[in-house]
Amino acid sequence: MPNQVTYRVYDFLKEIAPFSYLDREALLRVAERVEVRYQPPDTVVFRPGEPPRDRFFVVKEGTVELYSEDVDGNELLVERCGEQDIFGIRPLLAEDNYVFLARAVEESLLYAINSEGFREIIPNYPRVLEYLVTSMAGSSRYAVEYRAARRQEMAAAAPEPDLMSLHTLHRSRDPVVCLRTDTIIDAARRMTEHNVGSIVIVDDDFRPSGIITDRDLRRCVATGAVSRKLPVTTIMSAPVLCLAQQATVADVQIKMIRTGKHHLVQTEDGTDRTRVTGVISEHDLLLLQGNNPAVIIQEIGVATTASYLRELRDRSERLLGGFLEKEVAIGYITAVMTQINDEIIRKCIKMSLARMQQDGRGNPPALFDWLTLGSQGRGEQLLRTDQDNALIFEDVPEARYPATKDYFLQLAEYITEYLNEVGFDYCDGDMMASNPKWCLSASRWKEQFSSWMHDNTAESMLHTSIFFDYRGVWGDGSLPDKLTDHIFLEMERRSTRFQASLAMAALQNPSPLTFFRNFVVERSGEHKDQFDLKARAMRPLTDAARVLILQAGQGNINNTLKRYEALATIEPQNARLYEEAAKAYELLIRLRAELGLKRNDSGRFVRPGELTQVQRLLLRNSFNPVGEIQKLLELRFQLNFMR
Amino acid sequence: MALAPWLRDLLTPFIGPPGEPWDPHWPAFYRAYVNAGGHDYPADRELHEIPVVVLDAETTGLDIHDDRILSLGGLRVLGNSIQLGEKFEEYLPTPEGRTVPDTIRIHGIIPNSHRYTFTNEAQLMEDLLAYVGNAIIVGHHIGFDVAMINAALARQGAGPLRNRVFDTVELAKRLRPAGYWTPKETYSLDALARRHRIPLSDRHTALGDCYITAVLWLKLLTRFGTKKGRYLRVGDL
Repeated sequence: MPNQVTYRVYDFLKEIAPFSYLDREALLRVAERVEVRYQPPDTVVFRPGEPPRDRFFVVKEGTVELYSEDVDGNELLVERCGEQDIFGIRPLLAEDNYVFLARAVEESLLYAINSEGFREIIPNYPRVLEYLVTSMAGSSRYAVEYRAARRQEMAAAAPEPDLMSLHTLHRSRDPVVCLRTDTIIDAARRMTEHNVGSIVIVDDDFRPSGIITDRDLRRCVATGAVSRKLPVTTIMSAPVLCLAQQATVADVQIKMIRTGKHHLVQTEDGTDRTRVTGVISEHDLLLLQGNNPAVIIQEIGVATTASYLRELRDRSERLLGGFLEKEVAIGYITAVMTQINDEIIRKCIKMSLARMQQDGRGNPPALFDWLTLGSQGRGEQLLRTDQDNALIFEDVPEARYPATKDYFLQLAEYITEYLNEVGFDYCDGDMMASNPKWCLSASRWKEQFSSWMHDNTAESMLHTSIFFDYRGVWGDGSLPDKLTDHIFLEMERRSTRFQASLAMAALQNPSPLTFFRNFVVERSGEHKDQFDLKARAMRPLTDAARVLILQAGQGNINNTLKRYEALATIEPQNARLYEEAAKAYELLIRLRAELGLKRNDSGRFVRPGELTQVQRLLLRNSFNPVGEIQKLLELRFQLNFMR
Repeated sequence: MALAPWLRDLLTPFIGPPGEPWDPHWPAFYRAYVNAGGHDYPADRELHEIPVVVLDAETTGLDIHDDRILSLGGLRVLGNSIQLGEKFEEYLPTPEGRTVPDTIRIHGIIPNSHRYTFTNEAQLMEDLLAYVGNAIIVGHHIGFDVAMINAALARQGAGPLRNRVFDTVELAKRLRPAGYWTPKETYSLDALARRHRIPLSDRHTALGDCYITAVLWLKLLTRFGTKKGRYLRVGDL
């Protein structure tokens, strides 16, 4: 009979995923077998390399920190686990040794959950399994926990998510098959014929005995290692992973994540002993979502009105939602969304040029390029935010300058108008090409950048942070390149002071956490009591990446994630920190996009209470690299002397 | 005369372990308990290696002779873990004509309630000794609980508990002696729990008190150990 202490444990666990997915009976059984561990401050719970225990841990009270050790044996903080956090769960799933060192920072009480009892009940609770599998699939803890958080939300938002999936998956395509005796070239031919990425090898009874994918063909044939005349069985992967016909999208996803396979075969009963009925690839899974970036981009190309562009942008937002839900890599999502946005901008420019023609103003009087700035300039914009843009045109003789500028100002006026109609609001600060200040010839832009770099006022620094991340989307790239060359030349001449003030600007945003590890929220104004995701967490990371990459002389890298990636190779000694920063930034992009989609705004401000407990924790964890990067800047540019 | 080891082993069930008092009229469960032995630990054994059972008894009152046990709760502690899976929890029916409102208010056991499965005193003692074995017994004001248990054992014709017994009150006192700054009542379980930041939600249920006492025990041991700069040993207490 459960007793009061069991109920106390039960009450605590029932709020926490994955325990929250269990029913009362099952969770009480788990609670009954819990061991309460007391950890005095600074004591170790487990060490890396230790064999797995038969228990994993939930923090009841106190704080436990997880550390990884680098090659030199230095401890690096991976995560801080507070009340309700789960850790040490790897051994539950894999016969793996511990990877991290877990140590209590303060006096802590842990609930040690008996893996044995827990493992037994997993099969009856698909959601728990899904939670654990996705936890395992992630490479980093950020990703892992992040996914977990998403699942929770999805579970809350859609009580019957699987019903939908069930419906759609039944339409998985008819299988393209060949026999075991066919040659590789036969298989390749048939795949080309049907335009598919995989082919199932079946026996005489149409049962699957293997599968060949594009990748197999590339690996085995293109390299010339295997003769194309050999039977397919020599290169096929076997056995194939099978799914029953009634499998849901969720099942498919789990299986793909768990096995790392991109193709699954559907058979009558879900084993390879019955007939093949279909094939599902990861690609199919994405297409099932209904939207597809290629189609949207194609449509933008043929669009003739701003309102249709707006509709397409709405569609791409749904696509974005699908991507986020599927946890597609942020690098990919931003690339796709940037391309869509660029395409929309180009379409707006085309439409504006046509309008100039209609106005009788003819063709542009000089070569020009349209510079997108800020997050779109860095190729990181997911949601429609304010437009930040500028226009650069080729140098013209002084006499023609006013007329030329006038032409481009009018053009920019039209372009920004179209963009506004598509849903990119006008910029409050008037950082737009239609502003005479930001519609300049190449030489004048150079002067402008020089003056920003010499004059280290707060205003210059603000401009720097917006304008330095420019990216041309219209011309052949020669004009922006000239500007970049100029900046680096200028940098060589008076680098230190400019870089130092850039670095200083990156430190302008105070720590995102209060002393008590609460979020620093806005004190007043429209967003009172909300946390400014952009200013407090994302901007320090983008600012730091910018100054570091400028210092490294890699001005052509114009994306925060890619900047950190590049920095990690340039400075291997700081690689870990840069990777962490990139991961944290990814997480922030994702979080912001999700919040924005949910609320239909820019996702910039967040009320701490609206986040799930795991999201809050993740957000908090993402601040660790923020702080570390800021420290690095301070040291490198010796800022402690300057302030 | 020293007996040969083999003979000694053979005779133990009848004459008991060497040097221990022995009475062949004891009930079988008690003889088994004494025979299993191992109740004493050398002074240099480290406490975290020894099994501990935290006990708490709820009674009809405070008179060792007149009053009776209503429930017994126990939790096993090993090292720094409290093992909730190996709990002990048994209830006795309230003796006839013994419905003292005060005690009911304290421990919340309604006489002969259907919420609990009741046993009888003989069975309770047998189960308790099997559960306790040679573990060290820890409790808050445990002296009283042990006296109540010993009285119950005596009624069953058995001898007293032989386990080492440590009182969390004593431990707390040694860590922070009573004096001008620490009036006596600050050693109550409530006060200590509060001082050591242990939530009090399940006070006055057999296992709830055990749990609080167990956490208190672990915390006190650590504080004491930190003072000494090493693991605590049996001889330290």
